[in-house]
Amino acid sequence: MTVDQSAPAEVSEQPDEDGPLRGGPVLGAVAGAIPVALGLATLWYARGLGFGRLGDPGPGLWPSIVAVLLVFAGAVIAARARVARDTEAFTRGTAAVVIGAASLAVYTYLFELVGFEIPTVLLLALWLRFLGGESWRVTAVISVLATAGAYALFIIGLGVPLPHLIGG
Amino acid sequence: MDVGSVLSGFAVVFEPQNLLYCVIGVTLGMLVGVLPGLGPAATIAILLPITYNIEPTPAVIMLAGIFYGAQYGGTITSVLLRLPGEASTVVTALDGYQMARQGKAGSALGIAAIGSFIGGTASIILLTLIAPLVADAALEFGPAEYTVLALIGILLVATLGNGALIKSVTAAGVGLLLATVGLDPLMGSPRFTFGSDQLADGIDFVIVAMGLFGVGEILYNLEHRLRPQPAVLSFGRAIPRRMEWLASRMAILRGSVIGFVLGVLPGGGATMSSLVAYAVEKRAAKDSSRFGKGAIEGVAGPESANNAAATSSFIPLLTLGIPANATMAVLFGALLLQGIPPGPQLIVDHPDVFWGVVNSMYLGNLILLLLSIPLIGVFVRLLRVRAGILAPLTVLVTMIGVYSIRNNAFDMFLVIALGILGYGMKKLGFEPGPFVLAFVLGKLLESSFRRSMRLFDGDVLGFFRRPVSAVLVAVLLITIVVVPVLRMVRSRQAARIAREPSQV
Repeated sequence: MTVDQSAPAEVSEQPDEDGPLRGGPVLGAVAGAIPVALGLATLWYARGLGFGRLGDPGPGLWPSIVAVLLVFAGAVIAARARVARDTEAFTRGTAAVVIGAASLAVYTYLFELVGFEIPTVLLLALWLRFLGGESWRVTAVISVLATAGAYALFIIGLGVPLPHLIGG
Repeated sequence: MDVGSVLSGFAVVFEPQNLLYCVIGVTLGMLVGVLPGLGPAATIAILLPITYNIEPTPAVIMLAGIFYGAQYGGTITSVLLRLPGEASTVVTALDGYQMARQGKAGSALGIAAIGSFIGGTASIILLTLIAPLVADAALEFGPAEYTVLALIGILLVATLGNGALIKSVTAAGVGLLLATVGLDPLMGSPRFTFGSDQLADGIDFVIVAMGLFGVGEILYNLEHRLRPQPAVLSFGRAIPRRMEWLASRMAILRGSVIGFVLGVLPGGGATMSSLVAYAVEKRAAKDSSRFGKGAIEGVAGPESANNAAATSSFIPLLTLGIPANATMAVLFGALLLQGIPPGPQLIVDHPDVFWGVVNSMYLGNLILLLLSIPLIGVFVRLLRVRAGILAPLTVLVTMIGVYSIRNNAFDMFLVIALGILGYGMKKLGFEPGPFVLAFVLGKLLESSFRRSMRLFDGDVLGFFRRPVSAVLVAVLLITIVVVPVLRMVRSRQAARIAREPSQV
């Protein structure tokens, strides 16, 4: 049995077919470009806040120091993009992440509009059936029970004023 | 040391409410250690809003229990499935899993539990003796000392993490930047709020922790979930034989000491100490070729070490107000939420909280010993819980929990955004740990830095002129030199561990 030496944490018996796929140099360069961009934007913004002087620092000085660090570190990361092997490629599984994140945003939007019960059942059903691959029966039972449980814990137990339909 | 307040701490522990939360905490800790996906930092982050409604002492007792309880639970998956639940139990998988294959899983789990108990308990005793002295010395610290101390904390966590050094430093930088959103700490003028009232007070730590550790982790697991679960190896009772105990008692002793010492250092204390303990045991053994083939010392040493380290990593948080690792950063947030700023004043101003929490760990470790020996079957059965069911439930608790902090849906959107950030960071090879830690220490670091600069009238060399801060600067410089060396040793060690099974 051979074990990939660069990933000592992975000691599972079978080699994982769907384990993390390494990203290429493009992803590595992106990992460096983001801190550089963030640092430059901060520098630009901090200029308007006023640096003050070292003996009496203004609000902009500290963010600027951090921004310079980010630009420098980002440049180093970008320069090593070709050799670095620590990014993960985006795969088909990424779609599940996008759907998951989007569903949370829609949930938050609906939640205030129509109360928490219906969006909660729908959110759980989506995650259980489509993201989790559970059977319809398990999905139905768990999404209803968990919604009732959340109602009991947060609204009745902890007195959180969640927008809700049942019980006024 | 004030013996009276230590003893009254025991009275605090045995109040029924605190006992209950201690039991809940360690049981939850065992659960998250066993269950795939969420680690202790994420679990504590997700539960933060719920602790709002609990008094400070029981709240912190419970959250601390989750942290050290997870160290016990992580062992189970390491030994039975060869899937370490926590980074600090990676080396346990090596000899533990081999023991399990030879039908000695019960012995491995038993000795791990006993070693963890001894390591943890010894570490609490040492903590009790040392923490008050450290806190006492730290009372003299001024802004200059705190500037350097915060820098050391961030630097060590960034450098002792698992990812590439430069990326951890970058993640810490972004965390520092995010901490500047809100009102300027000295002038009170708004910064980076982009005209939003919601951002004027800054971003709540709880939301950052829940977003990066909670939602970020859940989203990341959505992508990687469809792995087949290997079969669980069966075993009898989790009790080591007499011979096995005799063979591992010295390993437990050495592991406890290594764990305590390394755990105090900010950074990967528990992980680092388990690797060092494994190396030490291998060197101390007469026949080192047994290692990797089911040597019981290879389980006993690292397991004692990681628990001792988990306990001693409370020292920097409770005495200096500097969290030593990502989980401690979340506990830092929990204390702030309760209106108890962690730091040298804690032991004087809130002796009941300090000693209550410290002494609750004796009890917690005892309960964990019970959970891991007679009741281990219950937790092993939990290995069958599917991630497909777990993920929706955790995400629901997280989202409603976030709302309950300020009864505000804006925070929910913010937590989703931070969750996406956390997911993206993991994909691009940035660890969320240094980010969250730097965010926690950001305000302290900035305001102490600016106060010191005023004090020194802009002269950076002022940091060298105050004796205590000069010593700390020396420590900072040493860490900049020593840490890369430690990293090198560790990666060689890890590489060797990864190679070992191929020789079987």
